[in-house]
Amino acid sequence: MFGSSFQPAIAAREAEGLHPRIITEGFEAAKIKALEVLEEVKVTKEMKRKVLLDVARTSLRTKVHAELADVLTEAVVDSVLAVRRPGYPIDLFMVEIMEMKHKLGTDTKLIQGLVLDHGARHPDMKKRVEDAFILICNVSLEYEKTEVSSGFFYKTAEEKEKLVKAERKFIEDRVQKIIDLKDKVCAQSNKGFVIINQKGIDPFSLDTLAKHGIVALRRAKRRNMERLSLACGGMAVNSFEDLTVDCLGHAGLVYEYTLGEEKFTFIEECVNPHSVTLLVRGPNKHTLTQIKDAIRDGLRAIKNAIEDGCMVPGAGAIEVAMAEALVTYKNSIKGRARLGVQAFADALLIIPKVLAQNAGYDPQETLVKVQAEHVESKQLVGIDLNTGEPMVAADAGVWDNYCVKKQLLHSCTVIATNILLVDEIMRAGMSSLKG
Amino acid sequence: MAGGAREVLTLQLGHFAGFVGAHWWNQQDAALGRATDAKESPGELCPDVLYRTGRTLHGQDTYTPRLILMDLKGSLSSLKEEGGLYRDKQLDAAIAWQGKLTTHKGSPPLTTATTPKPLIPTEASIRVWSDFLRVHLHPRSICMIQKYNHDGEAGRLEAFGQGESVLKEPKYQEELEDRLHFYVEECDYLQGFQILCDLHDGFSGVGAKAAELLQDEYSGRGIITWGLLPGPYHRGEAQRNIYRLLNTAFGLVHLTAHSSLVCPLSLGGSLGLRPEPPVNFPYLHYDATLPFHCSAILATALDTVTVPYRLCSSPVSMVHLADMLSFCGKKVVTAGATIPFPLAPGQSLPDSLMQFGGATPWTPLSACGEPSGTRCFAQSVVLRGIDRACHTSQLTPGTPPPSSLHACTTGEEVLAQYLQQQQPRVMSSSHLLLTPYRVAPPYPHLFSSCSPQAVESIPVFGALCSSSSLHQTLEALARDLTKLDLRRWASFMDAGVEHDDVAELLQELQSLAQCYHAGDSLVD
Repeated sequence: MFGSSFQPAIAAREAEGLHPRIITEGFEAAKIKALEVLEEVKVTKEMKRKVLLDVARTSLRTKVHAELADVLTEAVVDSVLAVRRPGYPIDLFMVEIMEMKHKLGTDTKLIQGLVLDHGARHPDMKKRVEDAFILICNVSLEYEKTEVSSGFFYKTAEEKEKLVKAERKFIEDRVQKIIDLKDKVCAQSNKGFVIINQKGIDPFSLDTLAKHGIVALRRAKRRNMERLSLACGGMAVNSFEDLTVDCLGHAGLVYEYTLGEEKFTFIEECVNPHSVTLLVRGPNKHTLTQIKDAIRDGLRAIKNAIEDGCMVPGAGAIEVAMAEALVTYKNSIKGRARLGVQAFADALLIIPKVLAQNAGYDPQETLVKVQAEHVESKQLVGIDLNTGEPMVAADAGVWDNYCVKKQLLHSCTVIATNILLVDEIMRAGMSSLKG
Repeated sequence: MAGGAREVLTLQLGHFAGFVGAHWWNQQDAALGRATDAKESPGELCPDVLYRTGRTLHGQDTYTPRLILMDLKGSLSSLKEEGGLYRDKQLDAAIAWQGKLTTHKGSPPLTTATTPKPLIPTEASIRVWSDFLRVHLHPRSICMIQKYNHDGEAGRLEAFGQGESVLKEPKYQEELEDRLHFYVEECDYLQGFQILCDLHDGFSGVGAKAAELLQDEYSGRGIITWGLLPGPYHRGEAQRNIYRLLNTAFGLVHLTAHSSLVCPLSLGGSLGLRPEPPVNFPYLHYDATLPFHCSAILATALDTVTVPYRLCSSPVSMVHLADMLSFCGKKVVTAGATIPFPLAPGQSLPDSLMQFGGATPWTPLSACGEPSGTRCFAQSVVLRGIDRACHTSQLTPGTPPPSSLHACTTGEEVLAQYLQQQQPRVMSSSHLLLTPYRVAPPYPHLFSSCSPQAVESIPVFGALCSSSSLHQTLEALARDLTKLDLRRWASFMDAGVEHDDVAELLQELQSLAQCYHAGDSLVD
C-alpha cells in the first residue's frame, strides 16, 4: 500500500515535465532521512514478557476480535518464551499448532508439551498414564515385504510358512527389547511407559505391547520427532540395539482425548519443555483458519521484536513523524529533487489516513489533528481507533516491528524507483524506433 | 493374510481423474447397496480395501472412500470442500458480533409437490465431476489448489513444472502429509496406494511429486499409478498439444521412477502428437468428446483390472501384482478390456472364448496401438460377471468336445487354458469372478442392448499386460520430443523445467523403450 501510494504523486510530477531520474534521486534521499528518523524513534527495551504482550496484542487485535485477541496474546507470548534457547535463534517451528474443531475460539490455549493428532491403537492400552517414560523411535514394527525385490523363493506351503515365521520373529525380537527396557526402568514402581514410533506397528506387536502395560503410538509425523525430544527430553532412536534409560524422555501426564473419530494424545507436565503446542479451538473451519493465521503473524511479530531488541510506536505514529521530518528536510535539498522528497512524505501519510478511514473516521480531519498534536507535544502520536483522536502510541502499548518498517522503507523505494525508471527506459526505446 | 483387509489409499489428482473416480465410487457404492441382497453371491470383493469406517461428532457411523483428491479452484461447483456428511449445523453459527443483532428470514419458495427435483443429472448439464458424484466423501478427502484456476483464460495449471512446484510448497506439502497421515495411521495392513493422475496438464507434475513423496515416506508399499488422458485432441490447438506431449512424457517417466507400476489410460488412440481416431468398442457406443462417457468406460476397466488386490480370499497384494508384471524394469503396463463381455444367451464360456479366434479379445485402453502382432511378457487377467452355470460347456455327455476349452471342468481351468493357448510362453495370472460390474445410473447409456430394459450390470473381461507395444509407443514419444524446437515453448520451460531435464527425459524414455524390445533373450 505504501509503494502504490507513490503513483498519484509520480503522475502529478510527470505532468509537470520533471525527469524521472530526478524524482528517484529525491526518493533515495527521502528514504535515507526516513531511516534516520526510524533509528531515532526506535525504543530499545529488554524484551520482557510485559513488553512482548503489547507487541503481540497490537498484531493480534488487527486480525481477530478483541476478546479473542487477548486470549491469544498470552498464549502466543508464552509459547515463544518457552521455545527460546539462549545462543540459538528462535525456531518458531518448535511451536506446534494443533487444531480441534470444537468449543469456541476463546478456548484456544497453550499446552506446555505436545499434542499429537492420533492415539494408541489397541483397546487395552490405558487412556491415561502418569509419570511416564517416553521412548521416541523410528523403527519398523510391522510385517512387511522386504526391500529386496527378488521376494520370497519357496517351493512348498511349508517353506513359505517358515519364511513368514522368520520374519515375524525378527519383529518379535524388537518388541521384546522394548519390553525388557520397560521392565528394567519401571521395575517395581508405578511409572508408565509410552512408545511413540515414526514407523508402523502391526496388530500382533500392539497386542504384545498392550499385554505388558505399554502404550504405543504408531506412524508419528516426521516433523514431530524433533519436537518430541525437545519437549520430553530423550532422543529418537533408530534401532533397538543398546537401548538404555538415557535414551528415554519423560512426561508427567500422557492422556488421550477423543473427538468424534479423531483421537488426540496430550503429552504434558514435561520438565522444561523446549517445544510446545498451541491448541487452536473453534466451532468451524473458518474460525480455525482465522485463528491459525492470526497466531502465525503474532508469533512472527514477537520473534522479530526479540531479535531486533527494539520496537517502534505503531498506530501510524512514526509515519506522521517521518513525514514531518521530510517536509522540513526537503528545504535543504537543492533543485527539483525536493519534489521527490515531498512525494515520499505524501506517500507515508497514506498509512495513518487509511487507518482512520478503516476505523470509520474522516481521514483528512483525523490526520490534521494528529499532526498538530505531534508538533505540539513532540511525542510520537498515532490514532486511537476507538475514538478517532490522537494518542501517544507507546503509552497505549501499540507497537510495530522495527525490522518490518525498515524493510518496507527499502523495498517500497526500490519498487517505486523501478516503476519510474522502466517507464523512462521504455520511452527511450520507443523514441529510438521512431527516429 | 490373517486379520483385517489389506487397506489401499486412493489419490485422485486432476479433473479428468475426478471424472473417472466419481464413476468408480458411484458404482462401488451401488454394489455396496446390493450386498445385502440374498441373490447376489457372497462378497468376492472386500470393500474395506478401498473404504474406511468412521464416525461423526454425533456418533453417527460413516463409510467413506479412503481417498485424497486434489483439484483446482473453481472446480467443485455445488459440492462443499468439506462435504456434507460430517457437518454440524448448530456449530456453523458462530456469532462474533457483540452488538445488536436482528435476524431476517425469507419464506421458502413454493414448490409444486408433483415435480420433485431430479436426482440423476442429464448428460448435458454435467460440467464438473461433482455434478454426478453420488457418494459422500470424508471431509479430509478434498484438497483444493487455490493457486490455479479450473476455468478461465489465465492462471491455469498447464505445465509439469508448475505441478511439481505446487507440492514443493510447504503449505501443500504439509496439507498432503497431514491427510496421508490421517488415513494411513489407522491402517493395520496398508498394502499400498493407487494414484489416478491426469497426464495432459500440470497435474502430471503433481502426480510425479506425490509418488516421490509416497515412495520416500512409505517405502515397501505398492504404488500403482494410472496415468489418465481425456478424449481426443484437435490438430489446431498447437500449444495445447505440445504441452500435452511434454506433460505426458515428463509425467510418465517421473511416475515410473517412483511407482511400482504405471499404466496409461486413454481412449484417445495415441500418446504422441499425431492424433489418432478414438478407440472403437464392438459392443458399445460412446461419444469420445464427452469426458462423462470416456471416464465411465475407464472406470469400468479399472474396477476390473484392480480386482486381484481387492479380493476377500487369496488376494494378490499390490506389491506382488507389480512384481509379477514388471520384472526387468518394465514398470509400464498396458490395459485392455472387453466391455461388455459378449456372452450370448445359451452360450457357454468356452463357446464365447472360441469365437474370438486367435485375435486379442480386448480393446486397447492405453493408447499404445493395437495389441495384435505384439509380444506379451506377463499379464494379469480378470473375467467377471459370468453365471456359474455358463462357466463350462454344456455338451451332452458323449459328444466330442470341439476344443480343449470344452473339456475343462471348471471356469478357472477354461480361462487358464484359453490364456495358455493365446500366449503360450507368457506368465499369466487369471481371476474369475461371479460379481459383474454394476452400471447403475448415473452411468451413461452406452450399451446397444436388444432388450428394452435398462442394463443393470455387465460382464467384463479385463487385462493388464506388459507388452512389447510399449517399445514402439515410447520410442515414438521420444521421436516426437526430439522434433520439438524447445525455444518456441519457452513458457513451458519457465515453469521449472530446464533444457538438461529434457535431454535426461529423452534418455530415460529411450532406455525404458529398450526394456520392451521383444528380443528372444529377455524372456525364457
